[in-house]
Amino acid sequence: MPERFTSRWDTLAFAVCVVLSLAARVAPDSVQTWVASGTRNTILAPLLEIQLQAERFRTSRARFAAVVAARDSAALAAMELGAVREENDRLRELLDLGARISTRYVSAEVLHQSSPVDGLTLLLTAGANNGVRPMSPVLSPAGLLGVVRTVDGDRSIAVTWQHPDFRASAMTLEGTVFGIVGPAGAGRVEPILELTGVPFGQRVPNGTRLFTAGFGGVYPRGIPLGYVTGVADEIEGLSRTYWVQPAVHPSAVSHTIILIGPALDLTDVFGQ
Amino acid sequence: MSRRARRYRLWAVLLLLVVLHFALRPWLADPRAAPDLLLLALLVYSIRARPGHAAIAGFVLGLLADALDPVAFGSGMLAYSGVGYLTAWGKAVFFAENIGVSAGFFFGGTVVRDLLVLLWGGHVGGAALLWQLGVWTMLKGLTTAAAGIVVLLVFRSWLNVRLSD
Repeated sequence: MPERFTSRWDTLAFAVCVVLSLAARVAPDSVQTWVASGTRNTILAPLLEIQLQAERFRTSRARFAAVVAARDSAALAAMELGAVREENDRLRELLDLGARISTRYVSAEVLHQSSPVDGLTLLLTAGANNGVRPMSPVLSPAGLLGVVRTVDGDRSIAVTWQHPDFRASAMTLEGTVFGIVGPAGAGRVEPILELTGVPFGQRVPNGTRLFTAGFGGVYPRGIPLGYVTGVADEIEGLSRTYWVQPAVHPSAVSHTIILIGPALDLTDVFGQ
Repeated sequence: MSRRARRYRLWAVLLLLVVLHFALRPWLADPRAAPDLLLLALLVYSIRARPGHAAIAGFVLGLLADALDPVAFGSGMLAYSGVGYLTAWGKAVFFAENIGVSAGFFFGGTVVRDLLVLLWGGHVGGAALLWQLGVWTMLKGLTTAAAGIVVLLVFRSWLNVRLSD
C-alpha cells in the first residue's frame, strides 16, 4: 500500500469526523435543530431553490392536463355555488347560526431527498413566512401525512406517519370505535399503520375506514388515516390491535396541504 | 495538462454533480431508486483524494444530508465520512482509475452509506430494513453506478479515466 494512505494525519482526520458525528447524534434536540436549520438556510438554500424550481417546472408540464380538467370541474361547481351559499346563509339565519368558519391552509411541494430514511420526514416548501407553525397538520387530498416538526422561513420539516414518534387518535366514520393509530412495528416489509387500544368487545370489520378523532388538539377531526385490513394482535378479554392500510404513502406524495387555521371538524370534507 | 488545471476540472465536475442532484431529482421516477449524485460526487472525489480529505468531505456532505432529512441527526455524517475514508483507502488496493472498478466503488459506496445510515439511525428494523437494503438500496446502487459510468465516460479526459487496464 502506498505510504500516503497510511499517514497518521488521515487516521486522525477520520477519527475527528467520527467523534463529531457521534457528538451530533447525541446532542440535544435544540442543538440539532439549530444546526440543521442553519445549514438549510445557508449552504443548502440555493440548491433547494433549484430543486423547488425543477419541481414546479416538472409539475407544470406533467399536470397541465389534470389542472385544466380540475379547473373545468371547479368552474361548473362554481356556477351552482352562489345559489347553494345563498340558501345556506338563509338557513343559518333561520336557525340563528353564525357564519361557518373556514379552515385556513397553505399548499406546499415536497422536496424528496436521496437518504434511505426519506419518508420518515419530509422537506416542505412552506414555512413561517407562509403562516406554518410547529404542530401544523400536513395532509394530501387522500388523507393524513403527518405533522410539522421544524419551521424555517420558507421551508419546514414534517414528521410523517412512518416515523416512530407519530401517534394520532382515530375513530370510525360513525364515531362508534376509537383507538390510537401509529406506525406498525418492524415485522412488516412495507410501512403500515396499526390501530391499538380498541376494546375487545368492539369488532372492526376489514375495510372499515378510519379518521382522525380530533382528540389532543393537533389533528382536526375527520381526516382519513386508512382502512382496516385485519387483526394484528389481541389480549383476550381486554383489547385488540388492527392493521391499517394507510390512506397515503409519503414517498408517493409530491404536493401537500398544511392546515394553519384552528382545528375544525373535516368529516364533511373527507367523509363522503 | 497542469496539476492545477486538472484540479479545477475535477472541482467543476463535482459542482456540476451537486447542482444536477437537486435539479434532476424531481424528474427521476421513484426517489427511493433514483441515482444519488451527491454521494457520487463524494465517491468521484474520494477515489482521487487522501483518506483524511475524503473523510472530511464526507463529513460535510453528511451534514447536508442530515439537514435535509433530520431523522437521526449525525448518522449521515458518520456514514458519509466512513464511505469517503473507505473509498480513498480502497483505491490504494484496487487502483480505481479503471472504469469498471470505479463502478464497483459507486455501487458499494451507496450500499455502505445506506447500511450505516439505517443501522446508526435505528428507526427502521426487521423486515422493513431487509426490504430497504435488499431492494431499494440495490436499485439505488445500480442507478448510481450507471450514472457514475456516464459521468466518467463524458468527462474521461478531465478525470484521467482509463477505459481498460
